[in-house]
Amino acid sequence: MKRRKLLKKLPVYLFLTVFFLISFFPVLFTFMSSFKSNMEILTTGNSLFPRQFVLENYIKAWQMADFSTYTKNSVFLSFFCVIGAVLSSTCCGYVFSRARFRGKEFIYYLMISSMFVSLGTLTLYPLLMIMRVINLNKSLWGVIIIRVFGMNVTNLFIARGYIATIPTEIDEAAKIDGCSFFRIYYNIIFPLCKPLIATVAILAFRSSWNDYMLPMVFTMTDPKRMPLVVGIMRLKSSGAAASSWNLMLAGTAISLIPMMLIYLVFNRYFVAGMTNGAVKG
Amino acid sequence: MKHPSAVIRNRGLRQDNLQAVLMILPFLLGFILFSYVPIIYILRYAFTDYNGYTAANWTGLHNFQRVFTKDPDFWMSLVNTVTLSFFKLLAEIPLALLLAVLLNQKIKGIGFFRVTLFLPAVISAAIIGLIFSLLFAAFNGMVNTMLQTVGLIGKPINWFGTKGNAMLVLGIASVWQNYGINMMFFLMALQSIPQEIDECAELDGAAGLRKFFGITLPMIAPIFESVLLMAIIGSLKVCDLVISLTDGQPGGQTEVAMTYIYKFFFGKSGRNIEIGYASAMSLITAVFLGLVTLVYVRGTRRIKGGVKE
Repeated sequence: MKRRKLLKKLPVYLFLTVFFLISFFPVLFTFMSSFKSNMEILTTGNSLFPRQFVLENYIKAWQMADFSTYTKNSVFLSFFCVIGAVLSSTCCGYVFSRARFRGKEFIYYLMISSMFVSLGTLTLYPLLMIMRVINLNKSLWGVIIIRVFGMNVTNLFIARGYIATIPTEIDEAAKIDGCSFFRIYYNIIFPLCKPLIATVAILAFRSSWNDYMLPMVFTMTDPKRMPLVVGIMRLKSSGAAASSWNLMLAGTAISLIPMMLIYLVFNRYFVAGMTNGAVKG
Repeated sequence: MKHPSAVIRNRGLRQDNLQAVLMILPFLLGFILFSYVPIIYILRYAFTDYNGYTAANWTGLHNFQRVFTKDPDFWMSLVNTVTLSFFKLLAEIPLALLLAVLLNQKIKGIGFFRVTLFLPAVISAAIIGLIFSLLFAAFNGMVNTMLQTVGLIGKPINWFGTKGNAMLVLGIASVWQNYGINMMFFLMALQSIPQEIDECAELDGAAGLRKFFGITLPMIAPIFESVLLMAIIGSLKVCDLVISLTDGQPGGQTEVAMTYIYKFFFGKSGRNIEIGYASAMSLITAVFLGLVTLVYVRGTRRIKGGVKE
């Protein structure tokens, strides 16, 4: 009986294992290749494991190819995007779930509707023009401001939904004690939002760490301000692409490691965040 | 007696509303500034010959005339976008659904697969393009070597040498990037089906495919619908992946709408900066995206109506 059951499950396991390999192989390949010498990548780049493990790529990428600067910029960009996203989504989620002023619903649906008007790459140039007005068109601050104040609809969904589950009796008790609307947010609601904050923070980290087009157009003329992904891609599109594959791979590995670690530790929040907003909205 | 306290409460409410408005005001302004103002810019430039340096001259419908009569490359990029989206979703959505069904079982080690199959979804699209361009490299790429070892091909394929091959690689990379997230959407949907319904179906003798198409699929239909809409819009707006994987190679033949227009905005790949013209193309693309959404929403509504009758 038990054996028959196992036999029935065997094709399922086989199929899932194949897809595990498919999902995992390109990542493993990248990490392995990042330890190959450039000579090996270019001539016999077709064996998975390096013939000789070399750390040189990382040292070179870090010291000579500015990857230490790129990493610093990525950390800077992600840090402020995460803080901003946490504040904006808890703030707006709280207002849209609790406030009672006229026009609230209208504003909420106006913001949600932007999901269908968003034109992605097509608005990059206008965004650059808008930021030029306040002289931030050549700085990562421009990217941060757009990402934080531009409002992320998914985050707004999740935040409003989460805060709506906090019992309103808590607010009312605080109100009787003389707390104002903002004080209730600051002293009571915000501290109760820990799971929400974790989800939003991780989603914001993922999107800002991985972002390419927006930071690219904001740092086009100034390599010293580029975040990791932009820096890596700059090597690829430069004339010397062939001779710098090893640096690109080391850079890619550097950009993948934090993302992977955070995903493995917090994958519950990742999945919850990335699916909730869409399915329930 | 009640009068004074009501006044205080009223004043308190007004105070609260003021604070609420102040709290969302910066985000509301930012939202309008970064979501709607760019569209106004595009609308304004679309009827001019603005090039980023000299003053913009009003040229009326000239840009649109140029798109419709003199720019087959733009239409090719739009056709490429639709072709790529269609074929990759044809593979991706059933695959994601199948994997979700498999992952929805209570068997040992399922948690491991749930975590690992979702892994590609957390990687940057640009980085995915980079990795796949190395995997599919013509002369010593991993994929060629593997295919040769198995004996499927005699000599290495130049994956980025012909349009067909390059589009195929784009499709594969795009499916790899997105099947995990769609799989998770479907898995969430499957888990929201009440257990009793499942058990009832089994008692009535429905099992396997019949149960899947008769019970499971209709149950997750609403979520399926919105997931598919997001997948369609997302793939029509693909940009990062294409730029980093083929960048239009060979010879601009794999350009998609977003990358093609981007190059006119920023003067990449040897083009001149033509903001006005790029804006006109953006408008046409935006209208196209809007139409697709509209047709989809109308279409699904009709299907639903049909089912009810």
